[in-house]
Amino acid sequence: MIEDILSILSNTLIYMVPILLASIGEIINERSGVVNIGLEGILTLAAFTATVLTFTTGNPCLGLIIGLLVGTASGILHGVISVYLRGDQIICGIGFNAFAYGISVMGLVTIWQQHGASPPVDTLPMITIAGRYSISPLTILALLIAVIAWYWLFKTSSGLKLRACGEDPHAAEAMGVNVLRTRFLATILGATLAGLGGAYLAVGWIGQFTRAIAAGRGFIALANVAFSNWNPILAILGSFIFGFFDVLSTYLQIKVQAIALTYPLKAIPYIGTLIVVATFIGRARMPKALGKPYIKE
Amino acid sequence: MLKAIRDRIRAKFEDYTTTTIEIVASATIGLIVGAIILYMFGYDVIRCYSIVFTKGVRDINYLLTKASPIMMTGLAFTIPMIAGVFNIGGEGQLYVGALTSILVAYYTHNILLAATTGALAGAGIGALIALLKVYRGVNEVITAIMLNWTLYYIVLYLITNIYYDPTIPHQSIPVPEDARIGYIASPWGSIRATFFIGVVLALIAYYVLYYTKLGYLLRVSGLSPRSAKYAGFDPNKAIIYSMILGGAFAGIGGALLTLGYVPYIDTTMSIVFGQGFTGIGVALLGRNNPIGIIFSSIFFSVLIIGGQMMELLTGAPPELADVLTGVIVISLALPYAYRMMISYVRTRRMIQ
Repeated sequence: MIEDILSILSNTLIYMVPILLASIGEIINERSGVVNIGLEGILTLAAFTATVLTFTTGNPCLGLIIGLLVGTASGILHGVISVYLRGDQIICGIGFNAFAYGISVMGLVTIWQQHGASPPVDTLPMITIAGRYSISPLTILALLIAVIAWYWLFKTSSGLKLRACGEDPHAAEAMGVNVLRTRFLATILGATLAGLGGAYLAVGWIGQFTRAIAAGRGFIALANVAFSNWNPILAILGSFIFGFFDVLSTYLQIKVQAIALTYPLKAIPYIGTLIVVATFIGRARMPKALGKPYIKE
Repeated sequence: MLKAIRDRIRAKFEDYTTTTIEIVASATIGLIVGAIILYMFGYDVIRCYSIVFTKGVRDINYLLTKASPIMMTGLAFTIPMIAGVFNIGGEGQLYVGALTSILVAYYTHNILLAATTGALAGAGIGALIALLKVYRGVNEVITAIMLNWTLYYIVLYLITNIYYDPTIPHQSIPVPEDARIGYIASPWGSIRATFFIGVVLALIAYYVLYYTKLGYLLRVSGLSPRSAKYAGFDPNKAIIYSMILGGAFAGIGGALLTLGYVPYIDTTMSIVFGQGFTGIGVALLGRNNPIGIIFSSIFFSVLIIGGQMMELLTGAPPELADVLTGVIVISLALPYAYRMMISYVRTRRMIQ
């Protein structure tokens, strides 16, 4: 029993990473006033490119880097559209999700002639604790990034300026902050972190690309952003809870051994997320200018 | 007086021109990016596209039958959008509508009852999303996606464990023969009535949105929740009503799919999967206008069927349709950019 609990907990530390990285990224860009619901697409596309590069070079570190860069590129696209061209941020995100899914699956079919999943690739080594439990080095990195992001956003003046862009961009501009540039850079940074999360999904954990590899994690991260009240430290807690549902689902599928119940058990992460969010979100206060394009006077 | 009318006509005309430019430019950008990607992956671009646009429109009945459910999910996105809500839950609402219609049709053999309950089921899911938004402050996008996944697995559970067809493996029980939507004779051969039902419903949606008090409430709340409040409307009501209507349309989409196209759901969910998401593209390309949606649903139907034919003949993956949808949707997020472009061209012309 205790064995089981410990292994569930250590697995949660592995499962929570993509959600946490995507959440921190999204918190950064939402604090600056840009919402990016294309996280799901970034996770998928980064996972795909990371798998391809790891497959051809045999080096998962390179895969991680390319996934990160794909995130950066997605952020540039979303930033240009939502900050400089004043596009509709939600619609752009919806479109990006469809695009990223389409191109990744096209690549999957073209490169490997497979419709469901790529062949397995090497993954980053795990760190073993107490002989039997393993966590990923990326878990530690993600936790570190969360703390750094929190410190930056809430304890430094550049973080304050970033938050001002999301609360009252006109006041920020009057204070001498370049709102457009700040938002653009925040969007790129946010998407880059999501890209790292996506690459980890493929080459840090699962070890192959499957067409539903993101499995709603991008949206769970969005839920986590609101749950954590746009605070990276609280996002750690949120990711742990949402990652836990994911582990629980897998664990019960193995433990229960009833084929009939496989599908209801697979729904646990989504129902769980919905219940947690509906119970706790009520008091969350989002950045005031979130999702509204800034128009200079 | 005359001048005022002339100005109004001119303003309307400019509106239409801008909209047309937006639609044509977005579709073109989509096709160009699609071509680049096909080329990158090593496919014969010209052959692929010519297959998509010739084979895609060959069978009019198939084309229109495939267009009907996405026309409905398009409306399912548009009606809440007009009231300022993003309904990306059309996917889950359609699953529920499809399964409910199958079950009711199977047990009652009554086609009208089946379609109505399908619509009600979809409306229920829509209402749930709206209520969580209004009373619990949960963003509709998050609820919708979580429900899409949950409903996906619940429907799968039901069709594999309870409502499965004992004679054919991997399928749900079917809609009985006497509860399926029939054909109508036309100059292009017999066409399933599904499409015409869809068009009538789209016209009803247009009427409701632009000629009724409810439609006015939705539009005002969408444009400016604050003015709606001053005018004595409750914007929260607009959110709830629009999501109920939207959910109902997605539910009917599921009903049209199972009563009028494939009479069962298979355990790969391939028949229902993606219909809701395609509807978002349909709605946006139709510029959130029910009449525009009728046409854009046919365009997307061409892309989907053409994509399948392309896969059959060249081996190029049909997910090209997703790429095109994605790029078209992204390009449609940019009305400001197009307007800038148009005014730039216009000033250039004036200077010369």
